[in-house]
Amino acid sequence: MSAVWRASRAAVRRRRLQTFVIGLVVLTSTVTLVVALGLMAAASAPFDDAFAQQRGSQLTVTYDASKVTDAQLTQAAHQPGVTDVAGPFAETVLTAPPNNMAPVPGVDNPPLGPIAFVGRADPGGPVDRVDVWSGRWVQRPGEVVVMRPPGETFARYEEVGSRLVLPGAPPLVIVGFASSLSQTAGAWVTPDQLAAMHPTTSQVLYRFAHAGSDTQVKADLAAVTAGLPQGSVLGSLEYLTVKWDLTNTANAYVPFLMAFGILGLLVAVLITANVVSGAVVSGYRHIGVLKALGFTPNQVVAVYLLMMLVPGVVGGTLGTLLGGVAAKPLLQMSFSGFNSGYIRPTLSPWVQLATLVGMPALVLLAALLPALRAHGLSAARAISAGSAPTAGRGLRVQRRLSGSRLPRSVSLGLGLPFARPWRTGLTMMSIVMGVLTVTLTTGLTNSVNVMMGSRDSSNWRVDSTFYVGDPSVPGQVSPELTDPQIEGMLRSLPGNGSVIAAAPVLVGLSGENQNVHAWFFRGSGWTAGSPVQLFKGRWAHGPDEAVVGSAFLHKRGLKLGSRVTVGLDGHQQAVTLVGEDGSGGPDELEAPWSTLTALVPEATAAGYVNQYWVHLAHGTDVNTYDAAAKAAEPSLQPSPAGGPNNIQVTVIGTATLLSILLGTVAALGVFNTVVLNARERRRDLGMLKSIGMTPRQVTAMMVTSMAALGAVGGLIGVPLGIAAHRVILPAMTNAVGLELPPSMLDVWHPGALTVVVLSGLAIAVLGALLPARSAARMTIAQVLRSE
Amino acid sequence: MTSAESTENVVVRLDGVRKEYGESVALDGVSLEIQAGEAVAVMGPSGCGKSTLLNMIAGLDRPTAGSVTVHGEDLGTLNETGLALFRRRRIGMIFQFFNLIDDLPALDNVALAGQLTGTPAGQARRRALELLDELGIAQRRNAYPAVLSGGERQRVAVARALMNRPALLLADEPTGALDSHSGEQVMDLLIDLNQMGQTLLMVTHDKRLATRCASRLVEFTDGRVARETALERSA
Repeated sequence: MSAVWRASRAAVRRRRLQTFVIGLVVLTSTVTLVVALGLMAAASAPFDDAFAQQRGSQLTVTYDASKVTDAQLTQAAHQPGVTDVAGPFAETVLTAPPNNMAPVPGVDNPPLGPIAFVGRADPGGPVDRVDVWSGRWVQRPGEVVVMRPPGETFARYEEVGSRLVLPGAPPLVIVGFASSLSQTAGAWVTPDQLAAMHPTTSQVLYRFAHAGSDTQVKADLAAVTAGLPQGSVLGSLEYLTVKWDLTNTANAYVPFLMAFGILGLLVAVLITANVVSGAVVSGYRHIGVLKALGFTPNQVVAVYLLMMLVPGVVGGTLGTLLGGVAAKPLLQMSFSGFNSGYIRPTLSPWVQLATLVGMPALVLLAALLPALRAHGLSAARAISAGSAPTAGRGLRVQRRLSGSRLPRSVSLGLGLPFARPWRTGLTMMSIVMGVLTVTLTTGLTNSVNVMMGSRDSSNWRVDSTFYVGDPSVPGQVSPELTDPQIEGMLRSLPGNGSVIAAAPVLVGLSGENQNVHAWFFRGSGWTAGSPVQLFKGRWAHGPDEAVVGSAFLHKRGLKLGSRVTVGLDGHQQAVTLVGEDGSGGPDELEAPWSTLTALVPEATAAGYVNQYWVHLAHGTDVNTYDAAAKAAEPSLQPSPAGGPNNIQVTVIGTATLLSILLGTVAALGVFNTVVLNARERRRDLGMLKSIGMTPRQVTAMMVTSMAALGAVGGLIGVPLGIAAHRVILPAMTNAVGLELPPSMLDVWHPGALTVVVLSGLAIAVLGALLPARSAARMTIAQVLRSE
Repeated sequence: MTSAESTENVVVRLDGVRKEYGESVALDGVSLEIQAGEAVAVMGPSGCGKSTLLNMIAGLDRPTAGSVTVHGEDLGTLNETGLALFRRRRIGMIFQFFNLIDDLPALDNVALAGQLTGTPAGQARRRALELLDELGIAQRRNAYPAVLSGGERQRVAVARALMNRPALLLADEPTGALDSHSGEQVMDLLIDLNQMGQTLLMVTHDKRLATRCASRLVEFTDGRVARETALERSA
């Protein structure tokens, strides 16, 4: 074995460049795979584990307490298939008002909007074992446990011992923070305390024998509500919806990361096979010498496999480690947002184990076929075989090309790929993969940009956003001017085009315990100025209209034209969903100012405005405008527009990075092929130089040989990339419940197509240039004498 | 011949050429002139610098010191591209192992040298066919090198060397890889070419080749010219 090891080590040293290329390819694809597999695993396992541990509520139903009694609910729950029941628990919803006052130490300022209070004596029980991660459970009236993600609070003054002051309830002392993965409440008090808060609804939590699918849960819901009075069910929440809520962002990244991971794998396999077959072909003499020395055929195969195992193991190991590092921020970002903290995503150990073992194994598999050629080669034939291809291969093509009008260096270059069809095929496939990646990235970038709205194409773009100072944030102060005064001031400044006031408010949705993030806009042109694109329908115009994202509709099984009832501060407003936009989340809603004033008085509504969007007249300097506004109202925090959002940064950034990496790797595949070709053809190159071929002609010949492959690879790779874009983008958006309109997929204009087609040429030329120039500088005197 | 006439007729002039490879000295102050129409044979033991001399004259390698002038061109003043163009116009080379391109048939191997100068394919092929005809292997024009005999391959190589009507034909062991019959044929060919006015410089171990084909013998030892002898061609 030591002889095999020594021969392999010598071979690796002789082929440092090729070893490096393979190692780099394996590393790149491993990083991508670790991240993709890590996300895929994190998207389901942590939720499932935590949900099982909490004995989460698979179905939470809210009933109208005026129409159904607790006894009726308890009786109705006795159905076959129901394994556990908790409740009925009395429930009421209170609204936290906007608060622009300086924070008072010891008083909690909860996020504004409705909070669902539930009366529970015990955090445990057969269903929804609430995790009290700080403080203790409520024991007497006047105490409250607030629902927060484990380990997180939302404000500086939110701590155990502080007082929660809300209209419609006595001051409550926070005695603990708890989390319920089932999202059954926003806060818990004792049943006695809740009774004093005039509950209007009851909540029952169920677990079933069969609840694996949406259909099963719906059937279960029908069963437990079958005998109850009509209209008693106000709403229900399935655990699958909660799970989808918490994991859909991560799921969205999985398809495209998997695609890049698989592309990386394919390129790694192709290049490994190419390098090993090249090493076998160019190493015929080496193989013959090994066999003549007494190496058995199996030992010769072992030499070649070991040679490839080195970069496979190094690339796989480094890739696994780097993948672990790269996955961390992406995992955190994928699980961030409104419901962050309920799931702590970690990279599953099996992912790293799989890549650590799998990647070198894959490299070995790719090397096996060409290495077996070395196995079957007789020593005599191996030693006597020249490095040049045998006569007959691609000769007709060479013949035709030599009679063409093309410059001879070009026609010779065009004929070169035909001398080694196997190598040519593998190299071209690498280029195809590179072009496919570039095309896919271009498509994703174009689609995401269209989805998020193009600033240049918008006739009302936000040039600057002014945030109203929040005194609970260190360094910020309360505004001196009132909302109308601020708006008036912004309108009066020179250069102003128009101003929109935006009020983000948490509102209740009838029948749901979860709040919805509603955006209310005041000012003309808010619809045209929206930074997102409207997919279907139209913008909302009246107090009874709203626009939502596809995810909102998908989550609730609604469609355009459906009506939902939003609630705030004890008031309800029914709105018709008239438009579907591209980026609204599953719990987001956009509506005109009149909807907000239908819910609360104008003065209260004004208190919710926390930002102003300003569109400037053409030629106005945004910094000058921002400075003038800041001088007039020091509490304003100007933020010039420009930065893309998280999704844009992540999808486009990651895709571009991976595309550059895989494009580089494909170029390295070309590089490797030209190195092999130049090595095999050094005698021909020497002869050509001896009869007067200039260095430039040599370079042109070698580059042309690959440019031809690049051009063909471009033509093959582009349609494949477009097809991949058509599969992957809908898979990504389906994961977040977004239905794409055709315009999101039809992002291919002639300019973009030309660029991606030329990317094949670019990969080939860039990959070939360096070794071609090196071949052009080759010292030929010695080559011509050796045989 | 007067001194001025002699200078005009000089095709190759080496002046104090020295070539070092690391610590090894391949050529040690070689000065040599070759007149137009001469056939010069260079002989000497292995490693004495014969092939290095040929490489210097062909512009395939550069001297460490001294100058090489071929057909009035100081090769030291030319860059790589200039040297390639020089070889294209002035030099024809024949190698011991032929160095034909295996992917191309005989005709295209010969025509290739012409096409590199920009000669259209058809014209280059016609010229190549004439040469192959003159060398007696026109009937093998479509054969690939792999199926040609050693003698045939060397004839194709000679035809390729003559394609651009070079001022100087350089031959590096032209019969070294041939059987005696093929070797004789190549020798006859070289004699014929020289008699038609082709200047010829050959490097060989083969005394018979030198005495049959050359009009002057230059003997090398340890990178230096040890002796020059005028030869009477043997029959």
